Amino acid sequence: MANLNIDSAKERTFDAIVIGSGMSGGWAAKELTGKGLKTLMLERGRDVKHLKDYPTTNMYPWEFEHRGEVPMDIQEANPVVNRCYAFKEDAMHFFVKDNEHPYVQTKPFDWIRGYQVGGKSLLWARQTQRWSDFDFEGPARDGFAVDWPIRYKDIAPWYSYVEKFAGISGNKDGLDVLPDGEFLPGFPLNAVETYFSKHVKEKYKNRHVISARCAHLSTPNQIHLDQGRAQCQRRTLCQRGCPFGGYFSANASTIPWALKSGNLTLRPFSVVQSIIYDEQKGEAKGVRVIDTNTKETIDYYARIIFVNAAALNTNLILLNSTSHRFPNGLGNDSSVLGKYVAFHNYSAHISAEVEGFEEWATDGRNPAGGGYIPRFRNVFKQETNFLRGYACGLGAYRGYKHSHEDVGQDFKAGLSSKEYGPWYVGSHMMGETIPKESNFVALDSSRKDAWGVPLLKISVEYDDNDMKMQKDYVEQLTEMFTSAGFKNIKAETDRRAPGLDIHEMGGARMGLDPKTSVLNNWNQMHACKNVFVTDGASMTSTSCQNPSLTYMALTARAADYAISEMKKGNI
Amino acid sequence: MDRRTAIQNLALVIGGAVLLPRCSKSNPSAHFKHFDITFDQQTLITDIAEVIIPKTNTPGATDLNLYGFVMKMVDECTKKKDQEAFLKGMAEFEDVPKKMFSKPFAECNKKEKEDVLKSFEKKDNSYSKELQAFYQTVKGLTVFGYTESKYFMTKEIVYELVPGRYNAWYPVKNGKAVAKNG
Repeated sequence: MANLNIDSAKERTFDAIVIGSGMSGGWAAKELTGKGLKTLMLERGRDVKHLKDYPTTNMYPWEFEHRGEVPMDIQEANPVVNRCYAFKEDAMHFFVKDNEHPYVQTKPFDWIRGYQVGGKSLLWARQTQRWSDFDFEGPARDGFAVDWPIRYKDIAPWYSYVEKFAGISGNKDGLDVLPDGEFLPGFPLNAVETYFSKHVKEKYKNRHVISARCAHLSTPNQIHLDQGRAQCQRRTLCQRGCPFGGYFSANASTIPWALKSGNLTLRPFSVVQSIIYDEQKGEAKGVRVIDTNTKETIDYYARIIFVNAAALNTNLILLNSTSHRFPNGLGNDSSVLGKYVAFHNYSAHISAEVEGFEEWATDGRNPAGGGYIPRFRNVFKQETNFLRGYACGLGAYRGYKHSHEDVGQDFKAGLSSKEYGPWYVGSHMMGETIPKESNFVALDSSRKDAWGVPLLKISVEYDDNDMKMQKDYVEQLTEMFTSAGFKNIKAETDRRAPGLDIHEMGGARMGLDPKTSVLNNWNQMHACKNVFVTDGASMTSTSCQNPSLTYMALTARAADYAISEMKKGNI
Repeated sequence: MDRRTAIQNLALVIGGAVLLPRCSKSNPSAHFKHFDITFDQQTLITDIAEVIIPKTNTPGATDLNLYGFVMKMVDECTKKKDQEAFLKGMAEFEDVPKKMFSKPFAECNKKEKEDVLKSFEKKDNSYSKELQAFYQTVKGLTVFGYTESKYFMTKEIVYELVPGRYNAWYPVKNGKAVAKNG
């Protein structure tokens, strides 16, 4: 650094730095640049430009060399990412390969990552549900983790704010467990899903089957057209990147918006080594980056720093940001940094055959995927032998009837038959897990990656509560399916490692008390006021909603607060 | 050149290699990344695929080069132990037509070839694990290659890259859609 002069330092000084360019980083950049802050966005991977860098987006199935399958040598070299449902020939270029960025699994953990501009926002399942106070009050009521420092009323306006811009399709269902939002028209339930919804409503007091809410432009508004996005064309090939911008991704939405402001500098190929702490001023002064092309170490400076590197990498950066003031990681006075990591329990699913409904099928494709059953266990009071509960995905489908037996002319003709077969119905569980001190990430004491950053050591596992919940899901859904008259019901549980849900959260949790949490009610570090963490790392508990919408809302809220604090001269 | 053209060109190259065996019948004539097979074996797999998806008034397996697809998938998308079972089963295959009709598969007529394959479709057949694996692999990949071929997806059951619609309540009568793309 010695030969860098003052002018160079000036060029490397911004109002704000955002570490990470995915779901929450994109929002931070959009909000900060929108309020006039010169912002540097750092991304460790390559750039992925909307439209231009979606090489498979318009390919037909027969144009894929292996018709979508991943070649065996790639599968065998990447056992972790290969377990992800979306790691297929059409999207595998958006996933981190196992050997590219190793980590240490003290216990099995499938860490699924997307190192590129846009991160995993290109690849997400696009399900978007608000939290309610039944979720925010969970830890306090049930006595785990620490109390959330916010309640629904604090975040509700910010949910509205991000929903309007991102574009969320859904119905106003009027449920207290799952607050309504600012919705574009919802995608309808089909005949069997509708039947099941009605059946469940009649039979169970507090169970609901609703249309899944998702980040798709069912019918775009002007604000979406202004982003250069168009109506969702019901392709359901989203993981390739959407040529219409039909679903929300940072690439299609927040990043181009931020770039349009003229205030964003986007720097891909920039691995963040640490956040630099100014011992005199008692605040962070910048970020130390390694350029992955030149291997050069470069410092960037800013008044505020948003850490949005994705939950576990955010923990890694903070743990690796040591100073005289913070010998155990930035903002880690409480010693909880890296601890109380949790995830979502996706370890069970169920399927069945459905008799009847022969007069209906579906046509085209449903981007929402079908229905959603909000959490119904332990909502109003503790009622089972496990804490918290689970939401369920729900989908019914009917395809053409094709026999797989026989050979020859009739068999061949049968493959072209457009006669419909029976309906099938399926569901999968999405369970809350309880954050615990014993589920943690830490820096490996000896091994380092290619950039000299210690490897992340992950020690996270299921517990007895998760297994009880899995059992309950199977029992309850079996009962609900049986009661609905579904046949040949098959429930399956698996022993998947945590992580495959791709909903890892926590480690730098929010809380009221600086002694037991890293961040305050504004996602601001208790002990280092110009650093904000607004990705999954900030989550005090996980509830069972898909988390991205909450990260977006927390980010927009924190950015607004950060700017008001800057104006007041507090940071 | 876009990626689509590139892949089509690649397919032509692969197809070409398959159609031009270099060696005599007893020697390996097609070199794959993980194994070699003989000219006779190429013919066998091509013939089996054609019996499964025969040429009718529409293209069959040979027209669509499903042999090339089957072998590409066995070579590149199959575990080593499954490749070994495939090769072992393939070596045993000729025993079946010999036992049934006292001649090699290539010399069987169309009906006899179908009967050979249909013997695998019977649930109570007594074939070895490897032999069944060979047949099921060829069949599965032939059907996969056929139903994901450009021909099938543009002429038989039309694949829509951009449906532009989701009709959750699509009327059906006697098992068939009432309206086309309603």
